[in-house]
Amino acid sequence: MPKFVAPTLVDAIKELSHDTLRGFVFVRPDGTERFCSFANIHEEATRRGAHLAAKGLVKGDRLAIVVPDGDEFVLSFLGAVYAGVVPVPIYPQLSFKNVDAYHDTVAHIAKASGAAMLLTTTATRPYVDPVLPRVDNLRFGVVTVDEHAAPAPGPLDVKVTGDDLGFLQFTSGSTSRPKGVAVTHANLAANSEAFMIHGLGKDSSFDKGVSWLPLFHDMGLIGFVIGPLFTNIPVVFLPTASFVRAPRIWLDTIHRHRGTITYAPNFAYALVSKRLKEKDVAGLDLSCMRITGCGAEPIQAKTLREFADKLAPAGFKPTSFLPSYGMAEATLAITFVQHGTGVRSDCIDAKALQTHDAKAVAPGEGTQELVNCGRAFPDHELAIVDEAGTHLADRQVGQIITRGPSVTSGYFEEPELTAEAWKDGWLYTGDLGYTVNGELFICGRLKDIIIIRGRNFYPSDIEWVISELPGVRRGNVVAFGADVDGEEQLFVCAEAFQSDAAGLTDAIQNAVTSQIGISVHKVEIVAQGGLPRTSSGKPQRRKTKQMFLEGAFAKPKAGANDAATA
Amino acid sequence: MARSRADLLDLFEKTATEIVEKEFKGIDETTAISQLGIDSLGMLEIVGAMERQLKIQIPDESLAGIQTVQDLLNVVEKRQTA
Repeated sequence: MPKFVAPTLVDAIKELSHDTLRGFVFVRPDGTERFCSFANIHEEATRRGAHLAAKGLVKGDRLAIVVPDGDEFVLSFLGAVYAGVVPVPIYPQLSFKNVDAYHDTVAHIAKASGAAMLLTTTATRPYVDPVLPRVDNLRFGVVTVDEHAAPAPGPLDVKVTGDDLGFLQFTSGSTSRPKGVAVTHANLAANSEAFMIHGLGKDSSFDKGVSWLPLFHDMGLIGFVIGPLFTNIPVVFLPTASFVRAPRIWLDTIHRHRGTITYAPNFAYALVSKRLKEKDVAGLDLSCMRITGCGAEPIQAKTLREFADKLAPAGFKPTSFLPSYGMAEATLAITFVQHGTGVRSDCIDAKALQTHDAKAVAPGEGTQELVNCGRAFPDHELAIVDEAGTHLADRQVGQIITRGPSVTSGYFEEPELTAEAWKDGWLYTGDLGYTVNGELFICGRLKDIIIIRGRNFYPSDIEWVISELPGVRRGNVVAFGADVDGEEQLFVCAEAFQSDAAGLTDAIQNAVTSQIGISVHKVEIVAQGGLPRTSSGKPQRRKTKQMFLEGAFAKPKAGANDAATA
Repeated sequence: MARSRADLLDLFEKTATEIVEKEFKGIDETTAISQLGIDSLGMLEIVGAMERQLKIQIPDESLAGIQTVQDLLNVVEKRQTA
């Protein structure tokens, strides 16, 4: 049982329902803002929940939600929660993405969750409708949010407890089809208490969150909607697309609203450093930023240092950086560094790492810098184990496992996949790392590890080296190992133009050989956009490997460059 | 004042070169976005830069389904005269 927060999200919001002055601000794409006080949020959730109940949805039914607008999404999500209905967020159609792949994902999630209804908006409906003939479990069909605009059709009388499902968080990870993590209210309460109170040391008298993170992913939804509702923290939400179009809007919003807590993956800090001009920094006062969290993908100390240098004139404090580690299967957060300590890294011997030994050395040739991701929260445990499940000592690399009240019970109606990852009360994360005095460092993913002549290589390291080459964009390259005549060899698939292919193949070979110390057996240059990706845009390593082995990649088309040189 | 179609194509080419740090000579309207080697994040960055240059706003909904440079310029042109 949580000690400092309510047992369910419904109880948590009800505790705030008297507050008409504080709450959530939703910034729209055109820059206008909608303020919803905590009192409004309670009223809206009650009203929307009553509409769902009046339509016939009962406690435990699943509701698929494809709603791109932040305010409508959050209020609809909470309406379902109030009605005891289990929301299933699905990401909206993103621009410039493959439409067929999107339809496949929506159909899969709608079916796998057994959703009884799909809630969308009038503008989004045309992107969802083509999927409907493939899903036969939507017994209440498709409903748009404006159909729920009227006053509540009746009272809402549903009792929600900690053991009830809060929502299904579909996660693609780096493997195959998305799976729905079954998150209970007790999980949400435990994790919210862990990261907001123990992790961030939140103070409701002055803290304020600012987030542009997608609301259909755990970091945006739990980190900035659910955690703050459990712990009485106001938040300002920006559309993700607004941040990508103009990264400075993130910092402008923090400046204007005096935000104290924000969070983003590593790439966002790199984007800001690259796009922000010195004159943009001049008008900013970011001394208010108390927590600048980083998670969801490997953290590069160099990226965060560059961000801090760029924003130093705006009063940004590097000690506000908060590296962390987590995953949807553990609700959200697993480890946080002590807030206020900033980025602390460990320099280890790259060669020793290949034999599972994280040996501390002085920075220089043949070393690797890893960022400290902190320790497990109170009432939660973390351990590193070898393949036999034996707990390992400090600085020995193995699989990260965790247990505690934030760890969910598994994937919704997927007993086999659940049994693979949940064993003896521990969640096996599939991530590799080591600890130093209980603090965690991440080395990569377990199953993607490449073993060549007894030496272990982490694909993320190889991809990082390649992504530093001119002509390669971060996230357009995948490295993996595959069997050649009984011996594992390194393969690299990279997206590029045909005209760049020959030069790039050589450059990749050279970079990997000189910096990693192995040669690439084969470099495959594939068509732009040809690598399979997760909903968050990360290339899927295992699927790339499978497609490569099946010879399924399209050759790069003659690009604009070729036309010019022809 | 609304810019001509040729100016818009030129602006797209220049903006893409700046954002992706790669030469994009020889683009014409029939070029498919997927041929350019720019991921969806990069495309959205380019749209953002063009919005600032032209002082227009392009709603997210109108970006769905864009396949070619022509599709994108159609949307931009429409917002210019809107």
